[in-house]
Amino acid sequence: MNTNPKIQSLFTNGILEIILVLLCVVLAVTASGFLTAENLLNVLRNVSMQGVIAFGMTMVIISGEIDLSVGSAVAFSACLTAFLTQKLSTEWVSLPIMLAITIAIVFALIIGFFLGVFTGFMRTRYQVPSFITTLALMTGLSGAAELITNGFPLTPFPNWYNFIGGGYLAGIPFPALLFLLTFVVLQFLMNYTTFGRSVYAVGGNAEAARLSGINVSRVKMMVLGITAFLAALSGIMVSSEIMSGTATTAKGWELDVIAAVIIGGTSLMGGVGRIWGTMVGVVFLGILMNGMTLLNVSEYWQHVVRGAIILVAVLLNLLQKEKRQR
Amino acid sequence: MSTPAHSLQTHSLRKEYPGTVALNDVSVSFIGGKIHALIGKNGAGKSTLVKIIAGATRPTRGSILVDGLEVSLPSPRHALERGIVAVHQELSLVPELTVAENILLGRLPKMRGLGNSIIDWRSVFARAEQILADLGIQLDVREKASSLGIAQQQVVEIAKAMSYEPSILILDEPTSALAQHETERLFDVLKKLKMRGVVLLYITHRLQELREIADTVTALRNGALVGTIGIDQATPAAIVQMMFGEVVQRSRPADLIAPTEPFIEVRSLCRSGAFRDVSFTVNKGEVLGIAGLLGSGRTELLRAMFGADPPDSGELIIAGQHIRPTSPEQMKELGVAMTPENRKDQGLVQLLSTRINLCMSSLNQIAYHGFLTHAREERLVERNVQELDINVARMDAPVAFLSGGNQQKVVIGKWLNTNPRLVLLDEPTRGIDVQAKQQMFQIIWDMSKRGISCLVVSSELEELLDICHRILIMRSGRIVSDVRPSELSLENLFAACMKEEV
Repeated sequence: MNTNPKIQSLFTNGILEIILVLLCVVLAVTASGFLTAENLLNVLRNVSMQGVIAFGMTMVIISGEIDLSVGSAVAFSACLTAFLTQKLSTEWVSLPIMLAITIAIVFALIIGFFLGVFTGFMRTRYQVPSFITTLALMTGLSGAAELITNGFPLTPFPNWYNFIGGGYLAGIPFPALLFLLTFVVLQFLMNYTTFGRSVYAVGGNAEAARLSGINVSRVKMMVLGITAFLAALSGIMVSSEIMSGTATTAKGWELDVIAAVIIGGTSLMGGVGRIWGTMVGVVFLGILMNGMTLLNVSEYWQHVVRGAIILVAVLLNLLQKEKRQR
Repeated sequence: MSTPAHSLQTHSLRKEYPGTVALNDVSVSFIGGKIHALIGKNGAGKSTLVKIIAGATRPTRGSILVDGLEVSLPSPRHALERGIVAVHQELSLVPELTVAENILLGRLPKMRGLGNSIIDWRSVFARAEQILADLGIQLDVREKASSLGIAQQQVVEIAKAMSYEPSILILDEPTSALAQHETERLFDVLKKLKMRGVVLLYITHRLQELREIADTVTALRNGALVGTIGIDQATPAAIVQMMFGEVVQRSRPADLIAPTEPFIEVRSLCRSGAFRDVSFTVNKGEVLGIAGLLGSGRTELLRAMFGADPPDSGELIIAGQHIRPTSPEQMKELGVAMTPENRKDQGLVQLLSTRINLCMSSLNQIAYHGFLTHAREERLVERNVQELDINVARMDAPVAFLSGGNQQKVVIGKWLNTNPRLVLLDEPTRGIDVQAKQQMFQIIWDMSKRGISCLVVSSELEELLDICHRILIMRSGRIVSDVRPSELSLENLFAACMKEEV
């Protein structure tokens, strides 16, 4: 242990960052087309839709809860936006398309938020684990999405709507900007507000937090609400990217999102985790997938590698923690 | 008496952790048939020594001899096989299993045949009952551990240890959760074991117990052995000298005047199954003690007043305002604070840093419109460290690394930051060393002088006599009398708490 303590601390605290940089170096050398602005911006766009949810999921997991419904919530929100746009612009009333879309988006976001609050309410009022409520929502919302679309993609959107999920602003993909904005907001919320402090306290020990005069119910409802809101936002981005409300989109996203959060060092036991870690986890997975695609690694192998990464990342985290404690 | 006495010796036991020496070449020997008290402040090395003997940690170097033979104890299992059993301060029962299963965990009697794989429940319960009967304890062995109180769980832990028929038994603060009569029963059991030649190592912070139970007193300080003396030489002064070297014994300050202006009136508070019709008044700046046995409803009363477990009926009157407590959040706003009995699990978030824990109840004070300001946080934390003399190497390290006494100070500091007017203290001195206790008294007196009322629940009755202006005696969920410390002796107070309901 003669190494410089600064370097040592960088190594124990920033091991994922180091691996990410190494990965980029390796890919820059081996995969042609990796180190281009176009490709990197593409990676950023690809991760952005799951990414916005991952930041919320980080808070949920830190608070000691879980949300399995985010994948279905994305599909539901995409379908709801398309459904409402269609109804408001042609069938129920014939509002101008711009207004119809605005109302649809606002409505989808509000519904999303309250679905999360509902999960929190079930958790705190009736002690139903969020695992169960969101498992029920996962199935229920998926069915609801099929119901309102009748099982067929709805395509009521005009061309300009594609901007939200597919457009560019100052050369940067618009969804990537939403992703970065979400990061900044939640990073600030978790580190510089009383609310963020409460989330860590509640996740670390809910009873101690309650006996400290923290309103545990409100914290849990807010955290789950924000995450469901972000899932709805993600659904709107998806509907814009594929220009339709399709009930089968975003299947299984909940697991990808949770994987990114865990790779980023957040503990499933609650109380421990960082929004920045999730940022690194999301980008890491995005670059890894992109690199393997560029290197023509088969999709099947990609899945296997991803699985291995999740396991190794968690293992590394635990080993580091053990080291720190000793 | 016929069994030969066992013995336990250590030779230059040393344990190094990165940066510190937890145990510094300790050579000590304990013979069977005697009860050896092991004393020392928190961090003196008692736990490390016990852990090594129980096989939970391996020493950096040195050796252990059991009955004169060197043994290697790479795991607790090896220690158990040698007849070394340790009962730790932290309870380790499996909550969803029955008392009997917990006692015989890992060694449940099996039926003959079928590869000895079927549990013989009848003998499980019979054997567990036998063990408890030997200890003179009445407890339903079919009850789940989770439904037991802390004292009963402690008893089950001890029964579990007995079931191994130990030749060396280590008890780490076994009485910290026990009421007086339970403690006496435990002592009877220990005396029985003594007759059988068992080596008994007894760790305690309760110095008054030493005289009652110990034959020798061995002290550790800063990881090193100070020495061993016979109990006849162990005067309080000698013990304090061994544990601390030099220490200032703070006595009750002279300027502690009993205040008369009422601050809060508790009126007919009831909570079914815990206490009923409790009424009393706490004056401004008064230190009011609540004496009573475990299960008398004292903890439940504090929790109800704090809104942690709201009362079924009754009310509090603060400054003419009638209040029905419903949540800690509400009571915090009204200037009420509580430091819970179980500070480890309920008072602090162990994962988080000392700094964050200190500000946990006062988030609004360190924030400006919800946004945390580092400067305000720093101000509060620094004030805490100064006022409470909290000994913390790194404010950003998890609070779990602190000693019991420092953790308790953090819990109190956390509440002082809310500028409380009434602090409910549940067992504020449990599991902390003598010096930290004195500091705790001083903190309580200081609060009193600043006009903060304190309601103190403690099993250590002599402490209540030392620190309180007035003491309420609670029995079976009711307040039965209201006394002044000057009016009665420790024996009277014990008797008043113990008296059976007529």
